[in-house]
Amino acid sequence: MKAISVDNLTRDYGTFRAVDHISFDVEPGEFFGFLGPNGAGKTTTIRMLTGLSEPTEGTALIMGYDIARDTYHAKEHFGVVPEVSNIYEDLSAWNNLMFAGELYGLSYTKRTARAREILDIFDLAEFRDKKVHGFSKGMRRKLTLGMALIHEPDILFLDEPTSGLDVESSLLLKEILSRMNREGTTIFLTTHTLEEANTLCNRIAIIVKGRIAAVDAPENLKKTIQTTQSVEVSLDSMTPRVTEDLAAIKTVTSSRHEGNKLRLFTPYPGDVATAVFAYAGEHHLKILSINTVGPSLEDAFLSIVQKQRNHRTGEMP
Amino acid sequence: MIPRPPTARIWRELKSAWAITKKDARIYYLRPGIIMFGVLFPLFLFLSFAIGRNLSADVLVPGLMAISVFFAASSIGPMAVPTERKTKTYERMVTAPVSPLSILFGEIAGGAIFGAIIATIPLVIGIAIYGTRIANPVGLIGALILISFAFSAMGIMFAAIPTDNPGDVMMILNFIRLPLLFVSGIFIPVSAMGVYGVVALASPLTYAKDIIQYALTGAGYYGPFIDTLGMVLFSGIFLWIGVYLHERNRRAG
Ligand SMILES: Nc1ncnc2c1ncn2[C@@H]1O[C@H](COP(=O)(O)OP(=O)(O)OP(=O)(O)O)[C@@H](O)[C@H]1O
Ligand SMILES: [Mg+2]
Repeated sequence: MKAISVDNLTRDYGTFRAVDHISFDVEPGEFFGFLGPNGAGKTTTIRMLTGLSEPTEGTALIMGYDIARDTYHAKEHFGVVPEVSNIYEDLSAWNNLMFAGELYGLSYTKRTARAREILDIFDLAEFRDKKVHGFSKGMRRKLTLGMALIHEPDILFLDEPTSGLDVESSLLLKEILSRMNREGTTIFLTTHTLEEANTLCNRIAIIVKGRIAAVDAPENLKKTIQTTQSVEVSLDSMTPRVTEDLAAIKTVTSSRHEGNKLRLFTPYPGDVATAVFAYAGEHHLKILSINTVGPSLEDAFLSIVQKQRNHRTGEMP
Repeated sequence: MIPRPPTARIWRELKSAWAITKKDARIYYLRPGIIMFGVLFPLFLFLSFAIGRNLSADVLVPGLMAISVFFAASSIGPMAVPTERKTKTYERMVTAPVSPLSILFGEIAGGAIFGAIIATIPLVIGIAIYGTRIANPVGLIGALILISFAFSAMGIMFAAIPTDNPGDVMMILNFIRLPLLFVSGIFIPVSAMGVYGVVALASPLTYAKDIIQYALTGAGYYGPFIDTLGMVLFSGIFLWIGVYLHERNRRAG
Protein backbone atom coordinates (compact mmCIF):
# COMPACT_ATOMS: atom_id res chain seq x y z
CA MET A 1 0.00 0.00 0.00
CA LYS A 2 1.10 3.56 -0.73
CA ALA A 3 1.29 6.12 2.04
CA ILE A 4 -0.21 8.73 -0.26
CA SER A 5 -1.78 8.02 -3.59
CA VAL A 6 -2.95 10.93 -5.70
CA ASP A 7 -4.94 10.44 -8.85
CA ASN A 8 -5.86 13.28 -11.20
CA LEU A 9 -6.34 15.72 -8.34
CA THR A 10 -7.72 19.02 -9.60
CA ARG A 11 -8.88 22.18 -7.94
CA ASP A 12 -10.62 25.15 -9.55
CA TYR A 13 -11.20 28.51 -7.94
CA GLY A 14 -13.93 29.91 -10.13
CA THR A 15 -12.54 29.70 -13.63
CA PHE A 16 -8.94 29.56 -12.39
CA ARG A 17 -7.40 26.10 -12.23
CA ALA A 18 -4.99 26.11 -9.27
CA VAL A 19 -4.16 22.39 -9.45
CA ASP A 20 -4.50 20.58 -12.73
CA HIS A 21 -4.87 16.79 -12.83
CA ILE A 22 -1.86 15.87 -10.77
CA SER A 23 -1.05 12.23 -10.02
CA PHE A 24 1.73 10.75 -7.93
CA ASP A 25 2.38 8.21 -5.18
CA VAL A 26 4.39 8.48 -2.01
CA GLU A 27 5.79 5.25 -0.57
CA PRO A 28 5.63 4.55 3.16
CA GLY A 29 8.77 5.87 4.81
CA GLU A 30 9.58 8.21 1.98
CA PHE A 31 10.67 11.82 2.43
CA PHE A 32 8.79 13.46 -0.41
CA GLY A 33 9.37 17.03 -1.51
CA PHE A 34 6.84 19.18 -3.29
CA LEU A 35 8.77 21.92 -4.96
CA GLY A 36 7.49 24.83 -6.98
CA PRO A 37 7.54 28.58 -7.45
CA ASN A 38 5.08 30.89 -5.69
CA GLY A 39 1.48 30.24 -6.63
CA ALA A 40 2.26 26.88 -8.22
CA GLY A 41 -0.43 25.10 -6.21
CA LYS A 42 1.59 23.53 -3.38
CA THR A 43 -0.61 24.76 -0.56
CA THR A 44 -3.77 24.02 -2.52
CA THR A 45 -2.56 20.44 -2.95
CA ILE A 46 -1.74 20.00 0.74
CA ARG A 47 -5.14 21.43 1.64
CA MET A 48 -6.86 18.86 -0.51
CA LEU A 49 -4.72 16.01 0.86
CA THR A 50 -5.53 16.97 4.44
CA GLY A 51 -9.27 17.42 3.95
CA LEU A 52 -9.31 21.21 4.22
CA SER A 53 -10.69 21.76 0.77
CA GLU A 54 -12.49 19.54 -1.64
CA PRO A 55 -11.00 18.57 -4.98
CA THR A 56 -12.94 19.67 -8.03
CA GLU A 57 -11.89 16.38 -9.56
CA GLY A 58 -9.76 13.38 -8.72
CA THR A 59 -9.00 11.41 -5.58
CA ALA A 60 -6.39 11.17 -2.86
CA LEU A 61 -5.83 8.12 -0.66
CA ILE A 62 -4.05 8.41 2.68
CA MET A 63 -2.82 5.02 3.90
CA GLY A 64 -5.45 3.56 1.60
CA TYR A 65 -8.31 5.69 2.93
CA ASP A 66 -10.04 8.10 0.57
CA ILE A 67 -9.75 11.55 2.14
CA ALA A 68 -13.10 12.58 0.66
CA ARG A 69 -15.08 9.47 1.50
CA ASP A 70 -13.31 7.86 4.46
CA THR A 71 -12.22 11.16 5.95
CA TYR A 72 -12.19 10.03 9.54
CA HIS A 73 -9.78 7.14 9.08
CA ALA A 74 -7.59 9.08 6.69
CA LYS A 75 -7.23 11.89 9.22
CA GLU A 76 -6.17 9.54 11.99
CA HIS A 77 -3.01 8.78 10.04
CA PHE A 78 -1.51 12.19 9.48
CA GLY A 79 -0.37 15.31 11.25
CA VAL A 80 -0.26 18.74 9.60
CA VAL A 81 2.10 21.69 9.92
CA PRO A 82 0.49 24.46 7.85
CA GLU A 83 2.10 27.55 6.33
CA VAL A 84 1.29 29.61 9.42
CA SER A 85 1.85 28.28 12.93
CA ASN A 86 -1.70 27.68 14.10
CA ILE A 87 -1.45 27.53 17.84
CA TYR A 88 -3.50 29.11 20.60
CA GLU A 89 -1.87 32.36 21.70
CA ASP A 90 -3.76 32.42 24.97
CA LEU A 91 -2.88 28.89 25.99
CA SER A 92 0.42 27.69 27.40
CA ALA A 93 2.64 25.36 25.38
CA TRP A 94 1.45 22.55 27.62
CA ASN A 95 -2.24 23.28 27.15
CA ASN A 96 -1.77 23.56 23.41
CA LEU A 97 -0.28 20.08 23.40
CA MET A 98 -3.01 18.77 25.69
CA PHE A 99 -5.68 20.14 23.39
CA ALA A 100 -4.06 18.52 20.35
CA GLY A 101 -3.80 15.22 22.25
CA GLU A 102 -7.45 15.30 23.25
CA LEU A 103 -8.53 16.21 19.75
CA TYR A 104 -6.83 13.03 18.52
CA GLY A 105 -8.45 11.00 21.29
CA LEU A 106 -5.31 10.22 23.32
CA SER A 107 -5.83 9.10 26.91
CA TYR A 108 -4.63 11.37 29.71
CA THR A 109 -1.60 9.17 30.45
CA LYS A 110 -0.70 8.92 26.79
CA ARG A 111 -0.99 12.60 25.98
CA THR A 112 0.91 13.81 29.04
CA ALA A 113 3.72 11.34 28.32
CA ARG A 114 3.87 12.40 24.66
CA ALA A 115 3.73 16.09 25.55
CA ARG A 116 6.70 15.74 27.92
CA GLU A 117 8.66 13.89 25.26
CA ILE A 118 7.86 16.53 22.66
CA LEU A 119 8.78 19.44 24.91
CA ASP A 120 12.14 17.76 25.47
CA ILE A 121 12.80 17.04 21.80
CA PHE A 122 12.04 20.63 20.84
CA ASP A 123 13.85 22.23 23.74
CA LEU A 124 10.65 23.82 25.00
CA ALA A 125 10.46 22.20 28.44
CA GLU A 126 11.31 25.39 30.29
CA PHE A 127 8.50 27.26 28.49
CA ARG A 128 5.94 24.58 29.18
CA ASP A 129 3.64 26.78 31.28
CA LYS A 130 4.25 30.03 29.41
CA LYS A 131 1.55 31.35 27.13
CA VAL A 132 2.43 31.13 23.44
CA HIS A 133 1.82 34.86 23.23
CA GLY A 134 5.47 35.68 23.97
CA PHE A 135 7.01 32.90 21.86
CA SER A 136 9.45 33.61 19.03
CA LYS A 137 8.69 32.51 15.50
CA GLY A 138 11.01 29.53 15.86
CA MET A 139 9.39 28.42 19.11
CA ARG A 140 5.97 28.67 17.52
CA ARG A 141 7.10 26.58 14.59
CA LYS A 142 8.51 23.95 16.91
CA LEU A 143 5.33 23.84 18.97
CA THR A 144 3.22 23.56 15.82
CA LEU A 145 5.33 20.62 14.70
CA GLY A 146 5.11 19.13 18.18
CA MET A 147 1.34 19.37 18.13
CA ALA A 148 1.25 17.66 14.74
CA LEU A 149 3.27 14.79 16.20
CA ILE A 150 1.34 14.25 19.41
CA HIS A 151 -0.55 11.23 18.06
CA GLU A 152 2.55 9.73 16.40
CA PRO A 153 1.15 9.96 12.88
CA ASP A 154 2.32 7.72 10.03
CA ILE A 155 2.42 10.68 7.68
CA LEU A 156 3.43 14.26 8.31
CA PHE A 157 2.39 17.07 5.98
CA LEU A 158 4.50 20.22 6.20
CA ASP A 159 3.90 23.42 4.26
CA GLU A 160 7.16 25.35 4.12
CA PRO A 161 8.16 24.41 7.65
CA THR A 162 11.39 26.39 7.76
CA SER A 163 10.32 29.58 6.03
CA GLY A 164 11.12 32.61 8.14
CA LEU A 165 13.34 30.71 10.56
CA ASP A 166 16.95 31.57 11.34
CA VAL A 167 19.73 29.19 10.37
CA GLU A 168 19.93 27.48 13.72
CA SER A 169 16.20 26.88 14.19
CA SER A 170 15.85 25.73 10.64
CA LEU A 171 18.74 23.27 11.06
CA LEU A 172 17.24 21.89 14.24
CA LEU A 173 13.90 21.46 12.56
CA LYS A 174 15.44 19.70 9.58
CA GLU A 175 17.41 17.44 11.87
CA ILE A 176 14.26 16.43 13.71
CA LEU A 177 12.46 15.79 10.44
CA SER A 178 15.31 13.62 9.14
CA ARG A 179 15.37 11.64 12.34
CA MET A 180 11.63 11.10 12.31
CA ASN A 181 11.85 9.98 8.72
CA ARG A 182 14.60 7.50 9.59
CA GLU A 183 12.37 6.20 12.36
CA GLY A 184 9.67 5.49 9.81
CA THR A 185 7.45 8.56 9.43
CA THR A 186 6.48 9.37 5.87
CA ILE A 187 7.04 13.04 5.19
CA PHE A 188 5.40 15.24 2.59
CA LEU A 189 7.01 18.64 2.53
CA THR A 190 6.50 21.67 0.34
CA THR A 191 9.26 24.15 -0.12
CA HIS A 192 10.75 26.53 -2.57
CA THR A 193 14.19 26.14 -1.07
CA LEU A 194 16.06 23.84 -3.38
CA GLU A 195 18.74 23.14 -0.84
CA GLU A 196 16.15 21.91 1.60
CA ALA A 197 14.58 19.62 -0.95
CA ASN A 198 18.00 18.44 -2.06
CA THR A 199 19.34 17.53 1.37
CA LEU A 200 16.15 16.13 2.90
CA CYS A 201 14.11 14.45 0.21
CA ASN A 202 14.30 11.01 -1.34
CA ARG A 203 12.09 12.18 -4.15
CA ILE A 204 10.88 15.52 -5.40
CA ALA A 205 7.87 16.51 -7.44
CA ILE A 206 8.22 19.79 -9.24
CA ILE A 207 4.93 21.58 -9.67
CA VAL A 208 4.51 24.52 -11.99
CA LYS A 209 1.24 26.30 -12.64
CA GLY A 210 -0.74 23.50 -11.08
CA ARG A 211 0.88 20.74 -13.10
CA ILE A 212 3.57 18.27 -12.18
CA ALA A 213 6.57 18.88 -14.38
CA ALA A 214 8.76 16.11 -12.98
CA VAL A 215 8.86 13.56 -10.16
CA ASP A 216 12.20 11.96 -9.36
CA ALA A 217 15.10 11.65 -6.95
CA PRO A 218 17.06 14.91 -6.64
CA GLU A 219 20.09 13.27 -8.29
CA ASN A 220 18.03 12.15 -11.26
CA LEU A 221 16.42 15.53 -11.65
CA LYS A 222 19.86 17.02 -11.92
CA LYS A 223 20.66 14.49 -14.61
CA THR A 224 17.65 15.52 -16.67
CA ILE A 225 19.77 18.40 -17.85
CA GLN A 226 22.85 16.33 -18.49
CA THR A 227 24.47 18.71 -20.93
CA THR A 228 25.36 21.12 -18.17
CA GLN A 229 27.36 18.46 -16.33
CA SER A 230 31.06 18.72 -16.97
CA VAL A 231 34.59 17.92 -15.85
CA GLU A 232 37.01 20.79 -15.44
CA VAL A 233 40.66 19.81 -15.95
CA SER A 234 43.93 21.63 -15.72
CA LEU A 235 47.18 19.80 -16.68
CA ASP A 236 50.74 21.13 -16.49
CA SER A 237 50.98 20.89 -20.24
CA MET A 238 47.95 21.82 -22.27
CA THR A 239 49.15 21.43 -25.84
CA PRO A 240 46.60 21.31 -28.67
CA ARG A 241 47.37 17.61 -28.91
CA VAL A 242 46.45 17.05 -25.27
CA THR A 243 43.20 19.00 -25.53
CA GLU A 244 42.31 17.07 -28.65
CA ASP A 245 42.89 13.75 -26.90
CA LEU A 246 40.90 14.80 -23.87
CA ALA A 247 38.00 16.02 -25.99
CA ALA A 248 37.99 12.61 -27.67
CA ILE A 249 37.31 10.75 -24.44
CA LYS A 250 34.23 8.57 -24.73
CA THR A 251 30.90 10.28 -23.80
CA VAL A 252 32.39 13.79 -23.95
CA THR A 253 29.89 15.73 -26.03
CA SER A 254 31.79 18.99 -26.33
CA SER A 255 34.70 20.86 -24.81
CA ARG A 256 35.64 24.42 -24.08
CA HIS A 257 38.72 26.31 -22.93
CA GLU A 258 38.20 28.38 -19.83
CA GLY A 259 41.41 30.20 -18.93
CA ASN A 260 44.04 27.53 -18.40
CA LYS A 261 41.35 24.93 -17.86
CA LEU A 262 39.56 22.67 -20.21
CA ARG A 263 35.92 21.96 -19.64
CA LEU A 264 34.59 18.64 -20.90
CA PHE A 265 30.81 18.32 -21.10
CA THR A 266 29.41 14.86 -20.51
CA PRO A 267 26.45 13.03 -19.03
CA TYR A 268 28.95 10.84 -17.11
CA PRO A 269 31.44 13.12 -15.36
CA GLY A 270 32.66 10.28 -13.13
CA ASP A 271 33.76 8.12 -16.08
CA VAL A 272 35.36 11.06 -17.81
CA ALA A 273 37.34 12.00 -14.70
CA THR A 274 38.65 8.44 -14.48
CA ALA A 275 39.67 8.58 -18.13
CA VAL A 276 41.48 11.87 -17.54
CA PHE A 277 43.49 10.33 -14.68
CA ALA A 278 44.42 7.37 -16.88
CA TYR A 279 45.46 9.66 -19.74
CA ALA A 280 47.60 11.81 -17.44
CA GLY A 281 49.29 8.74 -15.97
CA GLU A 282 50.00 7.28 -19.42
CA HIS A 283 51.49 10.50 -20.75
CA HIS A 284 53.32 11.48 -17.55
CA LEU A 285 51.35 14.67 -17.20
CA LYS A 286 50.65 16.30 -13.90
CA ILE A 287 47.08 17.13 -12.95
CA LEU A 288 46.98 20.61 -11.46
CA SER A 289 43.28 20.46 -10.76
CA ILE A 290 40.25 18.42 -11.69
CA ASN A 291 36.63 19.10 -10.74
CA THR A 292 33.35 17.64 -11.72
CA VAL A 293 30.90 20.46 -12.14
CA GLY A 294 27.39 19.12 -11.87
CA PRO A 295 24.30 21.07 -12.65
CA SER A 296 22.84 22.27 -9.39
CA LEU A 297 19.34 21.28 -8.50
CA GLU A 298 18.71 24.92 -9.16
CA ASP A 299 19.72 24.52 -12.81
CA ALA A 300 17.44 21.52 -13.07
CA PHE A 301 14.59 23.34 -11.42
CA LEU A 302 14.87 26.43 -13.58
CA SER A 303 15.17 24.43 -16.74
CA ILE A 304 12.15 22.30 -15.86
CA VAL A 305 10.09 25.31 -14.81
CA GLN A 306 11.05 27.13 -17.99
CA LYS A 307 10.20 24.18 -20.18
CA GLN A 308 6.85 23.68 -18.49
CA ARG A 309 5.98 27.36 -18.72
CA ASN A 310 6.74 27.48 -22.42
CA HIS A 311 4.82 24.30 -22.92
CA ARG A 312 1.76 25.77 -21.21
CA THR A 313 1.95 29.09 -22.96
CA GLY A 314 2.27 27.33 -26.30
CA GLU A 315 -0.97 25.59 -25.49
CA MET A 316 -2.96 28.74 -24.82
CA PRO A 317 -5.34 29.74 -27.58
CA MET B 1 -7.09 -2.23 10.72
CA ILE B 2 -9.53 -3.53 13.30
CA PRO B 3 -12.93 -1.94 12.71
CA ARG B 4 -14.04 -0.04 15.77
CA PRO B 5 -17.58 -0.48 17.05
CA PRO B 6 -19.73 2.62 16.45
CA THR B 7 -20.15 3.27 20.19
CA ALA B 8 -16.39 3.68 20.54
CA ARG B 9 -16.43 6.08 17.62
CA ILE B 10 -19.24 8.14 19.18
CA TRP B 11 -17.36 8.20 22.48
CA ARG B 12 -14.24 9.44 20.65
CA GLU B 13 -16.23 12.18 18.95
CA LEU B 14 -17.75 13.26 22.26
CA LYS B 15 -14.33 13.46 23.88
CA SER B 16 -12.97 15.58 21.04
CA ALA B 17 -16.02 17.84 21.18
CA TRP B 18 -15.52 18.23 24.92
CA ALA B 19 -11.87 19.19 24.33
CA ILE B 20 -13.13 21.96 22.03
CA THR B 21 -15.62 23.08 24.69
CA LYS B 22 -12.91 23.30 27.36
CA LYS B 23 -10.63 25.15 24.99
CA ASP B 24 -13.36 27.74 24.32
CA ALA B 25 -13.94 28.16 28.05
CA ARG B 26 -10.25 28.71 28.70
CA ILE B 27 -9.74 31.17 25.89
CA TYR B 28 -12.95 33.09 25.30
CA TYR B 29 -15.05 33.31 28.46
CA LEU B 30 -13.04 36.15 29.90
CA ARG B 31 -12.31 38.01 26.68
CA PRO B 32 -13.17 41.73 27.05
CA GLY B 33 -15.44 41.56 23.97
CA ILE B 34 -17.43 38.73 25.52
CA ILE B 35 -17.78 40.41 28.91
CA MET B 36 -18.76 43.63 27.14
CA PHE B 37 -21.31 42.43 24.58
CA GLY B 38 -22.29 39.14 26.17
CA VAL B 39 -22.73 40.21 29.77
CA LEU B 40 -22.54 43.93 30.59
CA PHE B 41 -24.39 45.31 27.58
CA PRO B 42 -27.57 43.23 28.15
CA LEU B 43 -27.35 43.83 31.88
CA PHE B 44 -27.36 47.60 31.49
CA LEU B 45 -30.03 47.38 28.84
CA PHE B 46 -32.18 45.47 31.27
CA LEU B 47 -31.43 47.76 34.20
CA SER B 48 -32.29 50.86 32.22
CA PHE B 49 -35.62 49.25 31.49
CA ALA B 50 -36.31 47.95 35.00
CA ILE B 51 -35.13 50.80 37.21
CA GLY B 52 -37.91 53.00 38.49
CA ARG B 53 -40.71 50.68 37.43
CA ASN B 54 -41.20 48.98 40.72
CA LEU B 55 -41.46 45.53 39.14
CA SER B 56 -41.70 42.43 41.25
CA ALA B 57 -38.84 39.97 41.48
CA ASP B 58 -41.12 37.39 39.87
CA VAL B 59 -40.89 39.41 36.68
CA LEU B 60 -37.36 40.76 37.04
CA VAL B 61 -35.46 37.56 37.76
CA PRO B 62 -36.84 35.43 34.90
CA GLY B 63 -36.44 38.37 32.50
CA LEU B 64 -32.85 39.00 33.48
CA MET B 65 -32.02 35.30 33.40
CA ALA B 66 -33.45 34.94 29.91
CA ILE B 67 -31.59 38.00 28.63
CA SER B 68 -28.37 36.75 30.21
CA VAL B 69 -28.53 33.38 28.50
CA PHE B 70 -29.64 34.99 25.26
CA PHE B 71 -26.68 37.35 24.99
CA ALA B 72 -24.01 35.31 26.74
CA ALA B 73 -24.60 31.98 25.02
CA SER B 74 -24.89 33.51 21.56
CA SER B 75 -21.65 35.50 21.89
CA ILE B 76 -19.11 32.70 22.24
CA GLY B 77 -19.42 31.26 18.73
CA PRO B 78 -19.25 34.65 16.97
CA MET B 79 -16.11 35.43 18.97
CA ALA B 80 -14.39 32.04 18.77
CA VAL B 81 -15.02 30.94 15.20
CA PRO B 82 -13.87 34.07 13.29
CA THR B 83 -10.88 34.41 15.61
CA GLU B 84 -9.89 30.84 14.89
CA ARG B 85 -10.40 31.34 11.19
CA LYS B 86 -7.89 34.14 11.39
CA THR B 87 -5.30 32.20 13.41
CA LYS B 88 -6.03 29.05 11.34
CA THR B 89 -6.63 27.11 14.53
CA TYR B 90 -10.07 26.28 13.15
CA GLU B 91 -8.27 24.34 10.41
CA ARG B 92 -6.42 22.41 13.09
CA MET B 93 -9.74 21.00 14.23
CA VAL B 94 -10.84 20.27 10.67
CA THR B 95 -7.69 18.27 9.90
CA ALA B 96 -8.13 16.18 13.05
CA PRO B 97 -10.24 13.02 13.01
CA VAL B 98 -13.30 14.82 14.34
CA SER B 99 -16.50 15.15 12.34
CA PRO B 100 -17.64 18.67 11.37
CA LEU B 101 -20.76 18.09 13.46
CA SER B 102 -18.69 17.31 16.57
CA ILE B 103 -16.68 20.48 16.09
CA LEU B 104 -19.90 22.49 15.97
CA PHE B 105 -21.30 20.64 18.98
CA GLY B 106 -18.13 21.34 20.91
CA GLU B 107 -18.38 25.02 20.08
CA ILE B 108 -22.10 25.10 20.89
CA ALA B 109 -21.51 23.48 24.27
CA GLY B 110 -18.85 26.12 24.94
CA GLY B 111 -21.42 28.89 24.47
CA ALA B 112 -24.20 27.00 26.23
CA ILE B 113 -22.20 26.42 29.41
CA PHE B 114 -21.18 30.07 29.46
CA GLY B 115 -24.82 31.16 29.05
CA ALA B 116 -25.95 28.87 31.86
CA ILE B 117 -23.23 30.15 34.19
CA ILE B 118 -24.09 33.79 33.50
CA ALA B 119 -27.80 33.08 34.00
CA THR B 120 -27.22 31.74 37.50
CA ILE B 121 -25.90 35.15 38.60
CA PRO B 122 -29.32 36.89 38.55
CA LEU B 123 -30.84 33.73 39.99
CA VAL B 124 -28.45 33.75 42.96
CA ILE B 125 -29.03 37.48 43.45
CA GLY B 126 -32.78 36.87 43.30
CA ILE B 127 -32.60 34.11 45.88
CA ALA B 128 -30.28 36.06 48.17
CA ILE B 129 -31.94 39.48 48.01
CA TYR B 130 -35.52 39.07 46.86
CA GLY B 131 -36.18 35.65 48.33
CA THR B 132 -36.87 34.17 44.89
CA ARG B 133 -38.11 30.59 45.15
CA ILE B 134 -37.76 27.91 42.53
CA ALA B 135 -41.10 26.21 42.05
CA ASN B 136 -39.71 23.49 39.77
CA PRO B 137 -35.93 22.98 40.15
CA VAL B 138 -35.70 20.06 37.74
CA GLY B 139 -37.73 21.99 35.22
CA LEU B 140 -35.45 24.98 35.64
CA ILE B 141 -32.32 22.93 34.99
CA GLY B 142 -33.92 21.35 31.94
CA ALA B 143 -35.08 24.72 30.71
CA LEU B 144 -31.65 26.30 31.17
CA ILE B 145 -29.96 23.49 29.25
CA LEU B 146 -32.43 23.76 26.38
CA ILE B 147 -32.28 27.54 26.22
CA SER B 148 -28.51 27.75 26.47
CA PHE B 149 -28.16 25.21 23.72
CA ALA B 150 -30.63 27.05 21.48
CA PHE B 151 -29.00 30.45 21.84
CA SER B 152 -25.49 29.10 21.53
CA ALA B 153 -26.59 27.34 18.34
CA MET B 154 -27.91 30.70 17.15
CA GLY B 155 -24.46 32.19 17.75
CA ILE B 156 -22.81 29.35 15.84
CA MET B 157 -25.22 29.89 12.96
CA PHE B 158 -24.12 33.52 12.72
CA ALA B 159 -20.49 32.48 13.09
CA ALA B 160 -20.85 30.81 9.71
CA ILE B 161 -20.62 34.24 8.11
CA PRO B 162 -17.31 33.82 6.30
CA THR B 163 -15.18 36.48 7.95
CA ASP B 164 -12.15 36.37 10.19
CA ASN B 165 -13.19 39.42 12.18
CA PRO B 166 -15.39 38.72 15.24
CA GLY B 167 -16.60 42.34 15.17
CA ASP B 168 -18.31 41.77 11.81
CA VAL B 169 -20.36 38.89 13.18
CA MET B 170 -21.14 40.67 16.46
CA MET B 171 -22.49 43.66 14.56
CA ILE B 172 -24.85 41.60 12.42
CA LEU B 173 -25.79 39.52 15.44
CA ASN B 174 -26.80 42.57 17.47
CA PHE B 175 -28.79 43.80 14.54
CA ILE B 176 -30.89 40.64 14.99
CA ARG B 177 -30.65 40.17 18.74
CA LEU B 178 -32.04 43.56 19.72
CA PRO B 179 -35.32 43.30 17.73
CA LEU B 180 -35.74 39.75 19.04
CA LEU B 181 -35.37 41.18 22.52
CA PHE B 182 -37.85 44.00 21.99
CA VAL B 183 -40.64 41.71 20.78
CA SER B 184 -39.94 39.00 23.35
CA GLY B 185 -42.35 40.03 26.07
CA ILE B 186 -39.57 40.83 28.50
CA PHE B 187 -39.91 44.61 28.23
CA ILE B 188 -43.62 44.59 27.46
CA PRO B 189 -45.57 41.55 28.62
CA VAL B 190 -47.14 39.64 25.75
CA SER B 191 -50.52 39.96 27.49
CA ALA B 192 -50.23 43.73 27.15
CA MET B 193 -49.37 43.62 23.43
CA GLY B 194 -52.90 42.82 22.33
CA VAL B 195 -53.07 41.54 18.74
CA TYR B 196 -49.41 42.42 18.29
CA GLY B 197 -48.63 39.69 20.79
CA VAL B 198 -48.44 37.34 17.84
CA VAL B 199 -45.14 38.95 16.84
CA ALA B 200 -43.66 37.66 20.08
CA LEU B 201 -44.04 34.12 18.78
CA ALA B 202 -41.32 34.86 16.23
CA SER B 203 -38.71 35.45 18.94
CA PRO B 204 -37.10 32.45 20.64
CA LEU B 205 -36.49 34.69 23.63
CA THR B 206 -40.25 34.77 24.25
CA TYR B 207 -40.35 31.06 25.01
CA ALA B 208 -37.10 31.24 26.96
CA LYS B 209 -38.38 33.89 29.31
CA ASP B 210 -41.75 32.21 29.64
CA ILE B 211 -40.36 28.80 30.51
CA ILE B 212 -37.96 30.24 33.09
CA GLN B 213 -40.84 32.16 34.61
CA TYR B 214 -42.86 28.97 34.70
CA ALA B 215 -40.04 27.01 36.38
CA LEU B 216 -39.52 29.73 38.99
CA THR B 217 -43.07 30.78 39.77
CA GLY B 218 -45.19 27.92 38.55
CA ALA B 219 -47.05 30.18 36.11
CA GLY B 220 -46.27 31.16 32.53
CA TYR B 221 -48.11 32.78 29.65
CA TYR B 222 -47.88 30.00 27.10
CA GLY B 223 -47.27 27.07 29.40
CA PRO B 224 -44.32 24.65 29.45
CA PHE B 225 -45.46 22.55 26.51
CA ILE B 226 -45.57 25.37 23.96
CA ASP B 227 -42.42 26.91 25.42
CA THR B 228 -40.49 23.66 25.11
CA LEU B 229 -41.81 23.07 21.63
CA GLY B 230 -40.81 26.60 20.64
CA MET B 231 -37.29 26.23 22.01
CA VAL B 232 -36.80 22.81 20.40
CA LEU B 233 -38.03 24.14 17.08
CA PHE B 234 -35.73 27.15 17.16
CA SER B 235 -32.78 24.98 18.25
CA GLY B 236 -33.43 22.68 15.34
CA ILE B 237 -33.64 25.55 12.87
CA PHE B 238 -30.46 27.23 14.16
CA LEU B 239 -28.57 23.97 14.19
CA TRP B 240 -29.74 22.93 10.75
CA ILE B 241 -28.91 26.25 9.11
CA GLY B 242 -25.63 26.45 11.05
CA VAL B 243 -24.48 23.00 9.96
CA TYR B 244 -25.51 23.71 6.39
CA LEU B 245 -23.64 27.03 6.21
CA HIS B 246 -20.49 25.79 7.95
CA GLU B 247 -20.40 22.76 5.69
CA ARG B 248 -20.77 25.00 2.66
CA ASN B 249 -17.83 27.11 3.87
CA ARG B 250 -15.73 24.01 4.33
CA ARG B 251 -16.39 22.82 0.80
CA ALA B 252 -15.50 26.21 -0.58
CA GLY B 253 -12.26 26.28 1.51
N1 LIG C 1 -9.07 30.54 -1.92
C1 LIG C 1 -8.58 30.86 -3.12
N2 LIG C 1 -9.34 31.55 -4.00
C2 LIG C 1 -8.87 31.86 -5.22
N3 LIG C 1 -7.64 31.55 -5.67
C3 LIG C 1 -6.83 30.88 -4.84
C4 LIG C 1 -7.25 30.49 -3.53
N4 LIG C 1 -6.24 29.83 -2.93
C5 LIG C 1 -5.24 29.81 -3.83
N5 LIG C 1 -5.58 30.42 -4.97
C6 LIG C 1 -4.75 30.56 -6.16
O1 LIG C 1 -4.27 29.30 -6.52
C7 LIG C 1 -2.92 29.35 -6.93
C8 LIG C 1 -2.09 28.39 -6.14
O2 LIG C 1 -2.00 28.85 -4.82
P1 LIG C 1 -1.20 28.08 -3.70
O3 LIG C 1 -1.40 28.81 -2.44
O4 LIG C 1 -1.56 26.65 -3.74
O5 LIG C 1 0.30 28.26 -4.20
P2 LIG C 1 1.66 27.82 -3.49
O6 LIG C 1 2.36 26.92 -4.43
O7 LIG C 1 1.39 27.30 -2.13
O8 LIG C 1 2.44 29.21 -3.41
P3 LIG C 1 3.43 29.79 -2.30
O9 LIG C 1 4.78 29.24 -2.61
O10 LIG C 1 3.37 31.25 -2.52
O11 LIG C 1 2.91 29.39 -0.96
C9 LIG C 1 -2.48 30.81 -6.78
O12 LIG C 1 -2.52 31.42 -8.04
C10 LIG C 1 -3.52 31.40 -5.86
O13 LIG C 1 -3.73 32.75 -6.18
MG1 LIG D 1 1.89 27.93 -0.21
